[in-house]
Amino acid sequence: MMLARVADSLYWIGRYVERAEHMCRLSDVMLNATLDRSDAANLVASIALSAVGDPEMAKAKTPYDAALALALDRTDHLSIYSSIAMARENARQVRDQITTETWERLNLIYLRMNDPAARGSFEGGSQLFLHDTIADLHLFKGAGDATMSHGEGWSFLLLGVYLERAQLIGSLLEVVFGEGRKRKPVTDHFALTSVLRMGCALEPYLRVYTAEMQPRYILEFLTLDEDFPRSIRFCTDQIETHLSAIIRHAGMAGRVGPDRLAGRLRARLQYADMDELETLGASPFLKTVLDECSAIHRSLYDAFVAYPLEERLPA
Amino acid sequence: MAAPAGGVRSHYSALDARISTLTPDELAERQKTQERFFLLQGITFTVYGAESSTERIIPTDILPRIIPAAEWARIEAGLTQRLRALNMFLADIYSEQKILMDGVVPRELVLQAPSYRREMQNLYVPHKAYANVCGSDLIRQPNGEFAVLEDNLRVPSGVSYMLANREASKRVFPGTFRGAGVRSIDRYPDMLLTTLKSMAADWRPNPQVAVLTPGVYNSAYYEHAYLARLMGVPLVEGRDLVVHENMVYMRTTTGLRRIDVIYRRVDDDFIDPLTFRRDSSLGAAGLFNAYRAGNVVICNAPGTGVADDKAVYAYVPEIIRYYLNEDAILPNIETYLCREPAQLSHVLANLDKLVVKAVGASGGYGMLVGPHSTKAQQDEFAAALKADPANYIAQPTIQLSTAPCLIDHAVEQRHVDLRPFILSGEKIIVTPGALTRVALKKGSLVVNSSQGGGSKDTWVLAETKGSAR
Repeated sequence: MMLARVADSLYWIGRYVERAEHMCRLSDVMLNATLDRSDAANLVASIALSAVGDPEMAKAKTPYDAALALALDRTDHLSIYSSIAMARENARQVRDQITTETWERLNLIYLRMNDPAARGSFEGGSQLFLHDTIADLHLFKGAGDATMSHGEGWSFLLLGVYLERAQLIGSLLEVVFGEGRKRKPVTDHFALTSVLRMGCALEPYLRVYTAEMQPRYILEFLTLDEDFPRSIRFCTDQIETHLSAIIRHAGMAGRVGPDRLAGRLRARLQYADMDELETLGASPFLKTVLDECSAIHRSLYDAFVAYPLEERLPA
Repeated sequence: MAAPAGGVRSHYSALDARISTLTPDELAERQKTQERFFLLQGITFTVYGAESSTERIIPTDILPRIIPAAEWARIEAGLTQRLRALNMFLADIYSEQKILMDGVVPRELVLQAPSYRREMQNLYVPHKAYANVCGSDLIRQPNGEFAVLEDNLRVPSGVSYMLANREASKRVFPGTFRGAGVRSIDRYPDMLLTTLKSMAADWRPNPQVAVLTPGVYNSAYYEHAYLARLMGVPLVEGRDLVVHENMVYMRTTTGLRRIDVIYRRVDDDFIDPLTFRRDSSLGAAGLFNAYRAGNVVICNAPGTGVADDKAVYAYVPEIIRYYLNEDAILPNIETYLCREPAQLSHVLANLDKLVVKAVGASGGYGMLVGPHSTKAQQDEFAAALKADPANYIAQPTIQLSTAPCLIDHAVEQRHVDLRPFILSGEKIIVTPGALTRVALKKGSLVVNSSQGGGSKDTWVLAETKGSAR
C-alpha cells in the first residue's frame, strides 16, 4: 500500500533518471564525433537530435553547442539538467519513501548540475563531466538497489526506468532504421558504431557479432536480444515483471488493464522474427512498440494513480 | 560557557580542552564537514533567483551547548508542569470556562483572540491533550535561572534540526561526545508516534497515523518528510485526502485507506476550507466535521493557539496556580499588557527601554526593540499602541545568555535561546535535548532563522554518580 501520489513520483524519478542518462550518452557521442571527420560528426549529431525529437535540425551543424545545450540548457525540458532537476524534485516530494543513501546520490548530482560552476566544468572537460554524471546515475540506481526495499515503490521506480528506456531506444532505432527517415540508409561504419554507443551497446554487441557492423545486426541486437539490458525485448520483460509485482502487492490480480498490455508487448518482442521484421519493415513494428508503451503508461494511471474515486469508495 | 568568577564553567571543561587542541583551520574544516552533511541531506531552503535557484543550508554551529543534569531536571519539571496546566486551561475554556467565570483570566482576552476557535467548544479530546507537540522558548537569565519567553502550541517546528545537529556533532566531536555522558534524543520519533497513537487508542486498536504537510514548497518540508520517514508513516498532502461520510481516507495505489490520526503541520486556518479559510487547498474539505464526529484526531488540536497568545502568556503563572495549586517552577518574563491603561502609560513612557510585541505576530516580526530603535520607529509604535492597545504587550529588554560559537575560524560568544520539545498524549514527555538557536550576528538578540539566526546541538548531561561536578 502506498499513496497514489507517491507511486506517481517514484515512477517519474525512474523515468527522469533514465532520460538523463540517455541524454548524457547522446551528448557524449555527439561530442566524441566532433573529434572525427566533420561529415560523420554532422550525421551523428543529426541522428542524436532527431532521436530526442529536437525540431531544429540546423543545430546539427554545430554539434558542440548542441551537446552543451542538451546538457545544461535550463529552459529546455529535455536537457540533462531539466531531467535531473525533475527527478530530484520528485524525490524531494517523496523524501520519506526513499532511503537516505539513495537520496544523497541524486541530490549530489543535482547540486553539481545546479552549481554556477557547472558550465565551466563542462567546457573544461565535457566528456569527463558527462562520464561522471553517468557514473553517478549508476551509483544512484545501485544505492537504490542495495538499500531500498524491493517492494511496490521500487517496482514503480523501475517501471519508470524500463518504460522510458524502451521508448528512448525505440525512438533512436526509428530514426536510424525507420522508413519515414528523410536521409539515406545509415551505412557509414563510424555512424553505426556511434548508434551502438548511444545505446551503451558497443562492447556487448562486439561480443555477440564481432566487429562486423551490419545495420541488420544492430537492429536485431537493440530490439530483440534477450540478455542485453538496453534491448527493447529486455525492457518489455522487465516492464511485465514489475507490473505483475505491483499488481500482486495491490491484490488486484486479473482486474486491471496494464498487465494485459504489458504481457502482449512482451510476447510481441519475445516471438518476433528478424526476417519478418526486415520484410515488413522496421518502422511499423517500432511504431507499434512505442504506441503500446504509451498505452501501458496511460492504463497505469487509470489503474493506480488517477482512478475515479466513485469506484473505490467503501460500500 | 564562562563562569562568573572567570574561567570555564565546569561542564564545558572537556569540550574546551578538546577545542584548544585544534588549530583554527582544523576547526574550520570540521565546520565545513558539518555544512556538507546538511547540504547532502537536503536540510536546506531554496532561494529563488531570477536566473537560477540556489540551495542554502540553515546556518549551524559545530560547538555544542551543554546543560548540566541539575539545570535540566528543573527545566523538565517546569515544562511538564506548564504543559499540564496549559492543556487543562484549553480543556476548560473549550468546555465550562470556569477560569473565565472566576475572573482569573479576563474573558474577552480569550474569547476575542483570533486564535480562539469556537468550533472546538465541547469537543472531546482524548486525555485532554490539546497540544500534543509543544516547543517552548526558554532563556537563561543573568542569575542562571531559566525562564519561559514564549510557548508554541500550534505547529512548532525545529525538532528535525535538533536531531540533525545531534547526528552532525557525533561526527564532529566523537571523542568528547563519548566521554561527556550526553543523554540520547534518538527516541523522539518513536515517542512522537506513541503519543499520536495514544490519541486514538481507545477506539482503534492499531491506528493509522499520517503527517499532513502543506507540501514541498513549505520551508519546514524537510522536517515533515523527516518525521514521517522516521516514524514510518505516510506523508500526505491535502490532495491525497478524501473525506467521505465523516471518515478520512488517503488515496493509495490500491484505493482508499482510512486515516485515524493526523499529525498536521498545516495551520488551523488552512486545514479545512469548509470550516476555516475557504480559499485554502492545503487541507481537506470536511476534515473538521470528521474530527467532530470522532472519526479522526487532529494533532495538535485546532484552537491551541489561544494558550500561546502573547497576552495570555502573562497569565500563565496564575493559570498554573489555578489548576494545579502550585507555583510556576519556570518563571515568566515580566510582561506589560498594554490593554491595561496604567501599564500602557508605563510602556509609552519607556519605549526606548522595552521590547514591544504585537500579540498575534511571530517569527520576530511586528516587534520594536527599544534600545536598538530610532525615534521615528518609536513614534510609529506609540501611535499603533494608542490606536489598538490590546494588540500589544511589552517586556523589558532581556539579556540572552551566550554560548561559544565558531565564527570565522575563532571561538566567540553569541546570544542563544533554548527550544525544548514536549510531547503530550496519554502522558507528558520532555525530550532530553533541545534546539539551541543562535543569533549569529555579533551583538544581535534575534535568533529566528528568518532573520540571520542559526542553530547548534544541545547536550543534556546525564546525572553522574558520585562526582558532583
